[in-house]
Amino acid sequence: MATITLSHIAKAYGSEARVIKDVSLTVNDREFVVFVGPSGCGKSTLLRMIAGLEAITDGDLLLNGDRINDHPPKDRDIAMVFQNYALYPHMTVYENMSFGLKLRHVSKAGIKERVTQAARILEIENLLDRKPKDMSGGQRQRVAIGRAIVREPKVFLFDEPLSNLDAKLRGQTRLELQKLHRSLQATIIYVTHDQVEAMTLGDRICVLRGGDVMQFDTPVTLYNEPANLFVAGFIGSPPMNFLPGKLMGTGNSVQFESESGTVCLELSAHPHRDVYAGNRGRAVVLGIRAEHITDRPGTFSHSQSTTVDALEHLGNEIFAYTMLEGVRFVARLPADSVMTINNTATLYWQADKCHIFDAQTERRL
Amino acid sequence: MKLTSKRLTPYILITPYLLHVAVFVLFPVAFSIVLTFHSWNIISPMKYVGLDNYAHLLKDRLFWQSLWNTVRFLLVHIPLQIVVALALAEFLNGPIRGRAFFRASFFLPVIVSGVVVTILWQQLLGFNAGMINKVLTGMSIPKVPWLESPDVAMYAIALMATWKNVGLYIILFLVGLQTVPMQYYEAADLEGATRWQKFRYVTLPMINPTIFMVVVLSTIGGFSLFIEPYIMTEGGPLNSTLSAVMYIYRQAFQYYHMGYSATLGFFFALLILAVVAVQKKYVEE
Repeated sequence: MATITLSHIAKAYGSEARVIKDVSLTVNDREFVVFVGPSGCGKSTLLRMIAGLEAITDGDLLLNGDRINDHPPKDRDIAMVFQNYALYPHMTVYENMSFGLKLRHVSKAGIKERVTQAARILEIENLLDRKPKDMSGGQRQRVAIGRAIVREPKVFLFDEPLSNLDAKLRGQTRLELQKLHRSLQATIIYVTHDQVEAMTLGDRICVLRGGDVMQFDTPVTLYNEPANLFVAGFIGSPPMNFLPGKLMGTGNSVQFESESGTVCLELSAHPHRDVYAGNRGRAVVLGIRAEHITDRPGTFSHSQSTTVDALEHLGNEIFAYTMLEGVRFVARLPADSVMTINNTATLYWQADKCHIFDAQTERRL
Repeated sequence: MKLTSKRLTPYILITPYLLHVAVFVLFPVAFSIVLTFHSWNIISPMKYVGLDNYAHLLKDRLFWQSLWNTVRFLLVHIPLQIVVALALAEFLNGPIRGRAFFRASFFLPVIVSGVVVTILWQQLLGFNAGMINKVLTGMSIPKVPWLESPDVAMYAIALMATWKNVGLYIILFLVGLQTVPMQYYEAADLEGATRWQKFRYVTLPMINPTIFMVVVLSTIGGFSLFIEPYIMTEGGPLNSTLSAVMYIYRQAFQYYHMGYSATLGFFFALLILAVVAVQKKYVEE
């Protein structure tokens, strides 16, 4: 059982501005929570504060309801996997994995049993006599996880553990981490700057920016209902397309009109039309994902004439790039699309899937 | 093959260095090896004596005593130097106030002339008028014959030499300590390691190369012990502080036994080489 609660947590270095401003969230027992955000957003700092490696300036950190702000790392019963693994180069894999148990005076037989079991789970039994320098990045990463597992801690913290692996191995390890979470039934907090990792691993994702929580929710909610422009732009690949404009219309009708009037999108069928109708005249930013723009009409309500200036063929799909009022737009087209560069084409937008954000507050309407 | 100026340039550039090495390194080494087979008092012509100098070396009890004195010095000096330098480096590596001041203070004796330091310590260690004995007397502790007792004098010199050189080794250890990535300590913190356990299981193994370097430098430096006993005790009392280098110096410049002195020097150099090789093997294992 391990529930972690962050209540108004803040962090400042000396008299400098706060790098973590006011973070409040709860990580439930056995939940896999991912902290994601761009470099410098404070995600690693937040993780290190939970681990006890950074002092907390303000707020309360609770583990199962007990305040642990002042507990040293060893008393928090938390294990951490570091970005560079932090495996001791002078120790073998077995010694690395057993180090914490030895310090805790676990019997030799107990150590052997736990290390062997963890090695079996991670399929590194044949590496136990090796030193870190004789292993690949992926193997080291497994050992680092093994070192965390053998202690059977209440909480696992992962600080960008896949960032040193190549793309293929990252994909494999992501799946293994999911399996591991299911088998360990442990509470995990995982830091990454890679939104694909965040989306695939997290039960819930906390998106951070400049020390603030932008949104903390499930991957599906983050994707379908981003709370603000930042989350909308950060989650999803390729990123969401944005176009500034205004909400217009009278009576039952509500439309989005871009600044130069090139795009006029009817929003009367949108699930949030009432909200939009109440904000007529407001400067907004329209957001639409690439997969909601296509080259064939179907149920897509809005047609937009444009010139495609670049195409990316990915085999199973095509990304078509255009410019609209000086803003780059990308559409995700089926692989069999017949589209040519520098020719006028009509693209169809699924208007009821678009998002409208307040231009000033950047919040979703 | 025609030598162009482009081909010649590198040779011209390294010529001064090669000349320097030839005149001040290769020639003296070669000449001293030749000398080991001769008897020579600088004034008279050299006389070939075959292996007589080597035979004499084996029977020269004073040389073996000087060697044993040097070993006694090293046995105290090297461990003391490592322990003190490492402890101070660890202290100076932490978040303490006035770190720059302390670092400079500990390094100061290194840049002060060895002769000056030795004379200063001679005063401090004086039996009757020395400051250290005065402090001991003030604390009702009997005076210690630092430089007057054959049992104590070499250890007093080892203490002084450690004080003089420790600053240099602090710097070396500081460099070593700062190359240990912080993450290893953080990982150890999470594993539940105490400060001592972190030092024992993380710091020490990680700075092993630095420790080896300090041991080698201290060994070589310690084997060349000369100024301190020469000024403080002149090798006494009862030759108890007569170091090997001092004995070699005496043979050469007091007794003008240049051939024998060269033999001692050659033997001594081989001995240092052997000791360092053993140390290296031990550390590698």
